[in-house]
Amino acid sequence: MKKYWKFTAIIAVIVLSIGTFYVNSAISADQNPEFVIKKESGDTKELEPLVLEGSYQGASSGNYVSRDLKITRQGTEYRNPSFLNRLIGSPMPVIESLQEQYRGFMRGKSPSENLFFENDRFLAYANVDYEIGFNSRESKDYTFEIDILNKKEDSTDSFTMKVPDANKMDHVFVDDVQIINGELNIITENMVRDNNSDRLYGEKHIYTIDMANQKFIKHEPIIKEPKGQDNTHFDITFIEAEGSTKMHEKLLFLTTEREVIKDRESTRIGDTSREAISYNLKTKEKRRLSEDLNLEENEISAFDGSAIYLTKVNGQKVMVTPFHLEKKQLGDSYLFQLSDKPMNEVPPLIKIKDGKLYAASNRMNSNTTASVIVADLKTGDSLFKGELRIKNSEDEIEDYDLYIHDIFVK
Amino acid sequence: MKNYLKLVNFEFNRVVKLFTILLGITLVVQMAGVIVQSREYLGRANEKMNEDLMSKAQFLTDYGQISFAHIVRSVWFLGPIALCAAGVAFYIFLVWYRDWVGKNTFIYRLLMLPTTRLNIFFAKISNILIMTLGLVAFQLILLPFEALVLKWMVPDDFRNDMGVKETITSIPELTIIIPNSFVEFVLYYGAGLLAVAILFTAILMERSFKWKGIIAGVLYSAMAILVLISPVLLQELVLNGFFYPMELFVIEIVMGIIVLAVSIWMSGFLLKKKVTV
Amino acid sequence: MIEVKEVEKKFGRKKILRGVSFTAKKGEITCLIGINGVGKTTILNAIMALTPVQKGEILLDGEPIKEKTFEKISFIPDALTMLPNMTIEKAMEFMNDFYTCWNMERARELLGFFRLHKDDRIASLSKGNTAKVNLLLGLALDVDYILMDEPFSGIDMFSREEIANVFTSHLIENRGVIITTHEVSDIEHLIDKVVLLDDGVVTKEFDAEKAREDDGMSVIDVMREVYQG
Repeated sequence: MKKYWKFTAIIAVIVLSIGTFYVNSAISADQNPEFVIKKESGDTKELEPLVLEGSYQGASSGNYVSRDLKITRQGTEYRNPSFLNRLIGSPMPVIESLQEQYRGFMRGKSPSENLFFENDRFLAYANVDYEIGFNSRESKDYTFEIDILNKKEDSTDSFTMKVPDANKMDHVFVDDVQIINGELNIITENMVRDNNSDRLYGEKHIYTIDMANQKFIKHEPIIKEPKGQDNTHFDITFIEAEGSTKMHEKLLFLTTEREVIKDRESTRIGDTSREAISYNLKTKEKRRLSEDLNLEENEISAFDGSAIYLTKVNGQKVMVTPFHLEKKQLGDSYLFQLSDKPMNEVPPLIKIKDGKLYAASNRMNSNTTASVIVADLKTGDSLFKGELRIKNSEDEIEDYDLYIHDIFVK
Repeated sequence: MKNYLKLVNFEFNRVVKLFTILLGITLVVQMAGVIVQSREYLGRANEKMNEDLMSKAQFLTDYGQISFAHIVRSVWFLGPIALCAAGVAFYIFLVWYRDWVGKNTFIYRLLMLPTTRLNIFFAKISNILIMTLGLVAFQLILLPFEALVLKWMVPDDFRNDMGVKETITSIPELTIIIPNSFVEFVLYYGAGLLAVAILFTAILMERSFKWKGIIAGVLYSAMAILVLISPVLLQELVLNGFFYPMELFVIEIVMGIIVLAVSIWMSGFLLKKKVTV
Repeated sequence: MIEVKEVEKKFGRKKILRGVSFTAKKGEITCLIGINGVGKTTILNAIMALTPVQKGEILLDGEPIKEKTFEKISFIPDALTMLPNMTIEKAMEFMNDFYTCWNMERARELLGFFRLHKDDRIASLSKGNTAKVNLLLGLALDVDYILMDEPFSGIDMFSREEIANVFTSHLIENRGVIITTHEVSDIEHLIDKVVLLDDGVVTKEFDAEKAREDDGMSVIDVMREVYQG
């Protein structure tokens, strides 16, 4: 055995050293602070369905770290950035549940909520595919790839359709997919080349498809970027409704027009005007909502398909006002006290679900507190009010930031 | 099995000198790096505070505390690691050619041993792995000691202590040799082992067919790489993302195992039927 | 019995062996004779599966060569078979580790017989002593067959005598030996069988004793007849 000592020693060193390292790193507690939602008033039960997703950035021991995390009623769960987790990725909860339920159908489909539509009869998917030409100027041969799962018959209808006038387009993105009255509607953002001015103009377009015959019934632009205005920057945003895979008769768009002022030395943005436009998929009619919404003062924070929730931050208070599309009128405003400490002017994140409003500030650090609010939309009563805190005060450090990127309500 | 272990032990004893030299260089250069860099830092601090009359607080805000991360990001630290990597890469070839080249024709003895010749292959590849992991393990042991030296050199106020794990995760260069999780560790070094097995097969082709073998070896390696990336290529170019990421991962693992098995089989065949002294 | 049947071997386009066949029996010393470059070493390498052959078959006691064969046959090549930095003792230990048929007692006996020092490093040995170490390592295996490649080439006179003495000793008794040489004179009187090789084929295979007794010809006489006549 004597002649094996070097070999035995090195094996022992390898196993002990590497083993200890990985065992230690597996069992050692997270160094990062644990955030909890501390109750100020109301019932903590209201927090049960709420998940705050964000990231923690701290200069822990002079060493910059950024970790993704989830905060719930139970506390903080740092996302384990393990190799397998990163590999599998973390699709949106809606997509994840669709993948579990319709594993075969969901194969090879881009995991974006807005490309799917689901009701009790159908699960539909539409995306745009293209061949890359030899140069970017060449037409890219855009094609809709459409897959429709008929849930009752458990059959899948897959077909492709050439995007009309594709040769004029530089980009086509799908914003939403909706089946209304048995017709498939694909709402897209198109970048259309104008040959006269050699410029691209953005537009929102709707394609209505007869699913049975796989034919276009009609297609038309919903909103177009106006031509011939070189000194403005025009932007059209599709505002995705809560649960965008579900049926919505009404779509919401926001246009932003910014004046571009070109000086000799610099370019800057001048006046900005915004306009909200709703579009009814059944009647194919659109309507300007600007006067009603007062977008000079309000931000659009949420859209649940029938109501737009406007927010206005004023000091430590946030005012939420619903606008009902059907009734075409503003509802009662509610004022929520967010926190006692000064906070940033960015409006909070808002989610609406089952008649309740969930709001959370999007940032917290040692100078700013973050509030979490649950309120009843019908009565305007606050059901829960609380603040994010670091659980153990000894974990508190001078220099950190907690960002909340998104809130989910289960 | 017994013969395999004997051979691994024998092969390890052949490389132990090179291995010790690499460990020695790593120890000396990295320790020197810790001392030199903390001196440099303290020197600067003295200069700024005594000559430019900068306050301590001002110095710390301008220049920051010294942490082990500073030291790791230097040639003093990464140089020896690169040297060790080069040493291992060099030894992948040397482990075979040393038995043929020059006056030393130990290959006669190896091929005439009353044990399956594949054991020679296994012994040599195990040795590469042991050598590599030995270097990694040594670096892991060295890190806390180097941190200790930094502690002795630099007063508390100017220093920012970091744990071994923190040190490693904060420096991408180190996560290559010491990945964050054990799963990754197994995958990284498994992939490395696969690459070595492919290279060994190519080397044995050269040993069997001389210059024609070089072409065969290059072709074999290219084929192996193609087979390994074919699922990803298919996924991207033909199947339009048909597989879920987890499925693709499992397929890749299976592909890796297949290529490894073929390489081992091919090496065994070459050693048995084609290799020449 | 070692049977070499119709063995063909090419190096590149050049055919070194073009259908070589012969047999070597246990208890006999078979001598492969031929000028340098005729493929004698290649035949021994082929028997030990150290180089592939294109055609033909080599059998040992009726079976093809496999790993277990190396407990039955040992090869003493004209090359260093141990690492240069090993001592003779370490080399002996190595053999003891891997071969069940290694006979340590006999190895020690040979050490004395050749007057070698166990602590000498192989790299430091003279050509003659290197050859002796090779012989030691080959002969201390309890095997049925021994192959020797040019055991006398480039070796001083005294070493040659010592090595030649091996052939008359109990070390060789009852074993089958194949020896290659181009200088047959040292061992002519020991040889049982001669295989003459020329241009990749066996030109003559004969019993040395028979030639001596029946025709009154020495091995060299027969060689002369074949190569020059």
